[in-house]
Amino acid sequence: MRILDLAYILALGAGLGLGSAHWAVAGRPAIGRVEVGAWTAWPRSGSREVDPYMRAYLARGVHLPFGSGEGLELIAERDDAGQALDGRCRYRLSGATPPTRGWTIGITDGDGLPFRLPLERTGFTDSEIVRPEDGGLAIIAAATPEAGNWLPLPASGRFQFRLRLYDTPISSQTGETRVANLPRVTRLDCR
Amino acid sequence: MSALSHHPTEKRSAPFAGWRPRLRAGFARFAITTLAGLILAGIVHIVTILAIPALSLRDAAHAYRELGIEGHAEPIPSPGNARGLPALREADPNVVTAICSYDLSAGPMRVVARTGTLPLGLTLHRQGGGVLYAITDRAAIRGTLEFLVMTETQRDERIAADEEGETSRELRIVSDTEQGLIVARVLMRLPSDRADAEGLATGVACGLAN
Repeated sequence: MRILDLAYILALGAGLGLGSAHWAVAGRPAIGRVEVGAWTAWPRSGSREVDPYMRAYLARGVHLPFGSGEGLELIAERDDAGQALDGRCRYRLSGATPPTRGWTIGITDGDGLPFRLPLERTGFTDSEIVRPEDGGLAIIAAATPEAGNWLPLPASGRFQFRLRLYDTPISSQTGETRVANLPRVTRLDCR
Repeated sequence: MSALSHHPTEKRSAPFAGWRPRLRAGFARFAITTLAGLILAGIVHIVTILAIPALSLRDAAHAYRELGIEGHAEPIPSPGNARGLPALREADPNVVTAICSYDLSAGPMRVVARTGTLPLGLTLHRQGGGVLYAITDRAAIRGTLEFLVMTETQRDERIAADEEGETSRELRIVSDTEQGLIVARVLMRLPSDRADAEGLATGVACGLAN
């Protein structure tokens, strides 16, 4: 019976321990995550004090995160109303971007890879967009062509917006950034 | 009759009376072994999380170990490249990235980058995870970014060799691992900036410091 007990303890310990570790670092970990409106960032992933879960996640693939002070990557998987982003819908990105030397905004799948779409437009830089009179941001993301700054979406399925800010002061104080300082993600309609 | 009617109930209650403590003991044993299993699971979980960065051979520091060992940064390989190197995950398509791998066992490394009109950032990624240092072209002096990467022992030796009473002007970055990567990223504002961005990124010199 004692051997059975020991086997049970070892099986439970190894199975649950390895399984939970794999699950915890299969994707970006919840620890160290900062949410501002629809946007999520892991500002400490590029510092000396990166937490063990993020360190393990980064070590499981070929990742080179931005260094603190070099830049910041923000990811949106949901719109401002909390609904998951879907290729069947149209979205408007509007508002402001934080002070930065340059930024890019792109469409990727859940793994951060750009979609293979007929039109080779996976994102915009701050120099490429046409701005309205107030100088703000006005980008429409949709599967069908739109006037102005159009970001093509896949015909259906989940996707992410990735906003990368280069040389920005907010990388060290992301948690204190106000929602109004980041682009708003608004769902316009769906097919 | 009464003896006959009482006999079966007595017979039935006797074994139940014996099973109850056994059941209780069995349940207690199950609870204790489960608790021990959960504690072991917690230990295994923590050890695994801490061991992954040290044991991983699929991280960027291992994948790009051969890049930039000839004195200047090399661009990261594109997917399906001839050398069979893995592509960078979650890379920004509007950025040109070049890499210098470093190994401090032979001595400190000097990194020199010329700056241009496009935003350039240099980061120092230690093997095993973590960014040790980041600097952008805004910190450049007369269009040049220059720093030395060294171990703590090498820094102590360099301080000891410094002229007494004189302050050294070189920027010394201490790496707690002998291996790692120096990553240069240049943002292309427009697609036509690609040639300039590649020139800036691959123009980063990284050789042994004298």
